[in-house]
Amino acid sequence: MKQLCVWLTLLLFCFAGTAFGNSVLEEKVVEHQFANGMKLLVVERHDTPIVSAYITIGVGSVHETSETRGVAHLLEHMLFKGTKTLGTTDYQKEQPILAEIEKVGSKLDALRLQTDADPAQVTALVKELKELQSEHKQYVVKDVFSNIYSENGGVGYNAFTSKDLTTYLISLPSNKLELWALIESDRMRDPVLREVYTERDVIREERRRSYDTNPRRRHYESLVNNAFSVHPYRNPIIGWHSDIANLSPQKTREFLQKYYAPVNTVIALVGDVKAAEAIALVGRYFGDLEPGVPAPNVAAAEPEQNGEKRVIDIFDAEPRLAIAYHKPTMPHKDDYVFDLIDQVLGSGRTSRFYRSLVEEQKLATSVSVYGAPGSRYPNLFVIDAIPRHPHTTEELEAAIYVELDKLKKELVDEVELTKVRNRLVTDQLRQLRSNSGLARLLTSYQSLSGNWRYLVNYTEEIGKISVEDIKEVANNYFKPSNRTVVVLKREDAL
Amino acid sequence: MMIFSRSLLLAAFVTITILAGCSATQPTHPDQLEYPALNFQLPEVETLTLANGIRLYLKEDSELPLVQITAMVGSGAMTTPADKIGLAGLFGSTWRTGGAGDRTPEELDEYLDFLAADLSASLGPYTAKLNISLRSEDLQNGLAVLGDLLRRPMFAEKRLELARLQAQEHLRRQNDSPGSISRRLLMAALYPNHYLGYSPTPETLAAITRQDLVDFQQTYFAPNNLWIAVSGDFDRANLMTLLNDSFGDWSQREVPEQHLPTIARSESGAIQVAAKDLPQTTIVIGDLGLTKDHPDQYAVRILNYILGGGGFNSRMMREIRSNRGLAYSAYSYFQVGRRLPGPFIAGTETKNVSVVPAISLTREIMVDLRNNRVTDEEVQLAKESQINSFVFGFENTHSVVSRQMSLAFFDYPKDYLAGYRDRIAAVTAVDVQRAAREFIDLSRQQIVLVGDPEEFSQELSAFGLPVVDVDLD
Repeated sequence: MKQLCVWLTLLLFCFAGTAFGNSVLEEKVVEHQFANGMKLLVVERHDTPIVSAYITIGVGSVHETSETRGVAHLLEHMLFKGTKTLGTTDYQKEQPILAEIEKVGSKLDALRLQTDADPAQVTALVKELKELQSEHKQYVVKDVFSNIYSENGGVGYNAFTSKDLTTYLISLPSNKLELWALIESDRMRDPVLREVYTERDVIREERRRSYDTNPRRRHYESLVNNAFSVHPYRNPIIGWHSDIANLSPQKTREFLQKYYAPVNTVIALVGDVKAAEAIALVGRYFGDLEPGVPAPNVAAAEPEQNGEKRVIDIFDAEPRLAIAYHKPTMPHKDDYVFDLIDQVLGSGRTSRFYRSLVEEQKLATSVSVYGAPGSRYPNLFVIDAIPRHPHTTEELEAAIYVELDKLKKELVDEVELTKVRNRLVTDQLRQLRSNSGLARLLTSYQSLSGNWRYLVNYTEEIGKISVEDIKEVANNYFKPSNRTVVVLKREDAL
Repeated sequence: MMIFSRSLLLAAFVTITILAGCSATQPTHPDQLEYPALNFQLPEVETLTLANGIRLYLKEDSELPLVQITAMVGSGAMTTPADKIGLAGLFGSTWRTGGAGDRTPEELDEYLDFLAADLSASLGPYTAKLNISLRSEDLQNGLAVLGDLLRRPMFAEKRLELARLQAQEHLRRQNDSPGSISRRLLMAALYPNHYLGYSPTPETLAAITRQDLVDFQQTYFAPNNLWIAVSGDFDRANLMTLLNDSFGDWSQREVPEQHLPTIARSESGAIQVAAKDLPQTTIVIGDLGLTKDHPDQYAVRILNYILGGGGFNSRMMREIRSNRGLAYSAYSYFQVGRRLPGPFIAGTETKNVSVVPAISLTREIMVDLRNNRVTDEEVQLAKESQINSFVFGFENTHSVVSRQMSLAFFDYPKDYLAGYRDRIAAVTAVDVQRAAREFIDLSRQQIVLVGDPEEFSQELSAFGLPVVDVDLD
């Protein structure tokens, strides 16, 4: 899910398009707003009888509090467990057991937080919970959505939670579109949070797998967590172990009820569908959902950083270096400038970092540049570099600053700018090739910027950026006091 | 555009109004739905052979002004001697970055970046491949570059050296992640003394010379050993002219046949334990699988879906993750070998204290598949899933042409795609059990565990396999 945030920022470049790219998008996207606030975007593409369906809720881990860290992601998992009609053999009989499980589970969680808890009482509750869970099993139809979608030829059935958004996706043979509408509307209307306590264990294993044992992602987690002091972007989407272990069905339900509402929802259907029929279908299945209340903006604002932050993260792996600078997000003009800077410094074999650090000085095996960790609030410009032995992270860091200083002192030349523009235009076209990729773009930008046409207007905005703007932005942001540097390395490494 | 969309919205409004009147019949359960038939025909791919033997696979698709080309040389790295392992990686990298024709490495990089072309080069076990994505207006430039790379690659020494330094750094980092450690150890155990099990070492990387790259190119690159797939927005007549410009004067010559090293199946399994101070252990279990010529390959697909290939619908995912919360991921796959048997792998990751329960569960599921027939419902779900999702293989035009090319190169039956769904549909529970009995044998499985053995090493003896501690340093 972290990758998504990175990916979203990269996509910004991909959509700096020519007139051609813009017109393709303008012509192809049909949009419709339903009375309950739900937004639908449809792109017809009839070559193959398949369709990709994305549902994006404009809610993510930024909406959590210190008591609920990790709940947006837990809820995403829980919404795979079925509804009152799907996933159960008899909801009426199941419901009282679910209530009992919740009661015992909450008692157990509370008890475990008490320092003087009676171990015998804990053991008894664990046993009771286990028995209830095993009694509950008789009413569960396991993983029912996955089962039905798979049987009907669905592929890529998944969901991801990011800092800003939560998305549920599937691609189906196009004759099965109504199945999607039925399942997804039922899932929005009547989800049942089954097997919460088992799922918490699953997520802790996910955390161990994706962060605690993976040097690259753990390094990224450290960087983001240290770069922000106040804004909730600092918190890992998945939560810390103690967060996950203390999430309750109650907290999960509250988050669901508060935020999962048509006013916060954007749907994209891309593929072999007719726009008019798609609008009618979505209206029929989702139209009677109550609008809900728009998710409020996060009040916490990151104060200006007043000094370099420098962190060592000890891990059993070869050293890695990451540097982050605070920057504004879209639609701030400087955000567009950073998109160009990303390209000049970090895109391709002829980018400045690759040429200088990898090819000529041979200090690094790779240097990548991206925006993170979200796009709705002021975010970070990140440089991620892997030193090549025997060169150290210190040498590499110094060489990176030399390149940043060049941007501060010298204007980028015209040939370099043309090259970057060619890349932007062409990558835009490449992004349009897959149904799923296009659906993802449309829902993400609609949700983040309030209008998918951000993508269309992007070309024009980028066209306004001058080489002088690049120099000015480099001078304004690439300052030691605005940066966080995290080195991941072994304890015994120098 | 605006007029068009307004009329659509109006039409939609009317439809909604009409349907709102009959909402009483709105389906509330998937069983109540009826689906229109899916209208799908296999897309046609034009195939032809040029006078000098180049095999062409073409499909036009003018939706976007882009074109994509894959050029495949029908010889690979499988015959690399053991003391030069790593040749494949250095060849691919130096081929891509080392310059070609009249262009130095820097000039070629600059030229391709200016065209916003995406070019990749690789040397696999059976083939060498170039893949390029271009704006359609750059087709001529792109084909000229491909011609240079295939016929006049420069393999500049300094780019070979850069690739070698990068590969050496990659080696230094090969123990950073438990996933890569486990894969490396497992492949070495499954393919002892074989190309497919070897990993490069500093010594083998150091032994590779520029002449090795040149020799490979000069031995195997010839028009009669070249296959090209083109998709996207091109004019056929123009393409043929350009292909003739780049390749027309390239003469046929004899290309030596490659003799693939044989594989001896290890008859006794083992558990390798690589200690790393981590809160979770990566578990992989492997055995030799099958080739594309195996008569039970379709039964194997169904077997794998039920075992661990079907995501949440598989038994491993259900028991290990969904019912017990022991893992986030639990999976299995058979990598169907084109000419030599590919691996059959199952795996999961779990906190160190749950390692033995997770392995036991996986083995119980495997044994059950051998001993008992799977249910008709399971077979049905697995078959429906594969039959109904078949159409997704055709979304991307380039994968349609390049797959057609690979199927021909590897001698797949002519009706492989056309008959695929029927062959899946014919699989029975009896077939699945037969496949399970052939491919599942706990006594010869190789198990690799990467994590902190403190919490599980005492109990491993229960599995009846020799336990070997691997020193990662």
